[in-house]
Amino acid sequence: MIAARKITKFFSVINPQGMAEGSTAVLSVSLEIADGEFVAIVGPSGCGKSTFLEILAGLQAPTEGEVYIAGKRVLEPLPSTRREMESYQKKYRFLSPIVNSLFEDIPKFETAMIFQDYAIFPWMTALENVLFTLELRGVARQDRAYRAREYLAMVGLSGEENKYPSQLSGGMRQRVALARALSVEPKIILMDEPFAAVDAFSRHKLQEDLERIWQQTKKTIVFVTHDVDEAVLLSDRVVIFSPQPGTVRNIIDICLPRPRRYCRDRLRELKDRVMQIYQYDATGEGIEYVI
Amino acid sequence: MDRKLTIQTYQARGLNLVVKELAAFFGGVAKNNFTIEFFTVLVPIMALWEALPRLGVVSPFLVPPPSVVAVTFWELLANHGYLGHIGISLQRFFLGLAVALAAAIPIGILMGWNLFLRRHTLPLFQMLAPIPPPAWVPITIILFGIGLPMQVFLVFLGAFYPVLFNTYQGVKDTEPRYIASARVFGASEFTLIKRVYLPNSLSSIVMGVKVGIALGLVMLVVAEMVGAHSGIGWLLVESKDFFRIDRMVVCMLTLGFIGWFLIEVMKYLETKLALWKVGR
Repeated sequence: MIAARKITKFFSVINPQGMAEGSTAVLSVSLEIADGEFVAIVGPSGCGKSTFLEILAGLQAPTEGEVYIAGKRVLEPLPSTRREMESYQKKYRFLSPIVNSLFEDIPKFETAMIFQDYAIFPWMTALENVLFTLELRGVARQDRAYRAREYLAMVGLSGEENKYPSQLSGGMRQRVALARALSVEPKIILMDEPFAAVDAFSRHKLQEDLERIWQQTKKTIVFVTHDVDEAVLLSDRVVIFSPQPGTVRNIIDICLPRPRRYCRDRLRELKDRVMQIYQYDATGEGIEYVI
Repeated sequence: MDRKLTIQTYQARGLNLVVKELAAFFGGVAKNNFTIEFFTVLVPIMALWEALPRLGVVSPFLVPPPSVVAVTFWELLANHGYLGHIGISLQRFFLGLAVALAAAIPIGILMGWNLFLRRHTLPLFQMLAPIPPPAWVPITIILFGIGLPMQVFLVFLGAFYPVLFNTYQGVKDTEPRYIASARVFGASEFTLIKRVYLPNSLSSIVMGVKVGIALGLVMLVVAEMVGAHSGIGWLLVESKDFFRIDRMVVCMLTLGFIGWFLIEVMKYLETKLALWKVGR
């Protein structure tokens, strides 16, 4: 289970006058995600949803608030007072807090993350990319190759194992990223706009595959997207973020039978509802529902 | 595959591999350099170089034609132990380069990887690096005397900074999402350096080594000119004293060839190690 409590993230940015200025990316977001749930986070671009996801993954420290994954705290928040700041700086003098251990690979079985622009290593072939995570996980050397092929087959990449990412299409790269994430056998997969850079045909196929894999493996998936269609199609719950600063605007439960491609009307209705919330946020008008 | 591999088969395989690699290397060098386009430039230049002194347009005494240079080269090899000079120069050069690489690459990686270490060391290197390496010659002679340590140290000084800064830049500029994606999978920092930072910065390290080779050769000549009794640089100064311009040309061409050859080796190594970049 993921429990995020009052997550706030504060950045300093440079305003057009050239002065430093505070900017709140995420404001007091609380969210609980049960095991095996498929949650989509939607919102206009720049609303802090990716930041929120990175906080969940432990790649950024929140300014305030706590994230617990399966009861364990992810990262402590950043200091807010001068005294705290001093002790924080002292504590992390040598290494930044997001750093893992120095010499020992400690696999994180809880979470895996898939990034928007794949982030699979271009210097490793598809197979080597998966072998790398299997190695981090401590799988015995003789088992790695066949396990890796298994995961690549699961995402439909048999026969492309020995290609480098530069030789693969965007959709295939995203599949490698998915295979890499699955190979850690995580309980939770965090996906940051995974299909945004993929063409419509591949996206359709990837969505179906993701749904199938999710149903097979029963993992928790947190899926950040700006595509409302995608969100209502795939997820059990759609969390709508408001524009900057990102807060939870609304949460819509979607109780439709899967596969959902066939209940078009219901999907359209849900999408319209989400879009109207968007529009209301943007212009302050055009709302029909009482929320 | 339960057939036992004997030492002989390993040896045969190793030999096979070496032969194959050498063939690939020299084939690549020949293919990339000795093209028809290159010969259309080279042949007229050589012809002019040969013809002008022979026709008396320039003094053959000041500009020895290639045929004379070739004869001098042969004469140096046969009677003056030129191979020995080349050998000792290469020994000094490679010692210096090896020390420079062994120091610069790890320091560069550490500086690029960790902010704490970077803050402590980078300003120092940035202040020391602009000192032109030949300016170190007098103090080096006083500290080390004349001999191998001094020559090695000077070559080291020439090669160290380019390798250091290129390694540091390459490691520092590693795409943050690659690092993040390895971190979410729980990679230790050592694994991160080995599997992410290093492959990603390989081409800039190789770039640094290429510059390091060039500057190292410069410092080798400087070191041998002022503090040696053998080697190509010493022979160059000797030839000046005896006014043997042909010998000087032989020395210069030899140095040029060494630099060119080593850089070709580096290019080959780069394509070999960064196979993933070739397919683009």
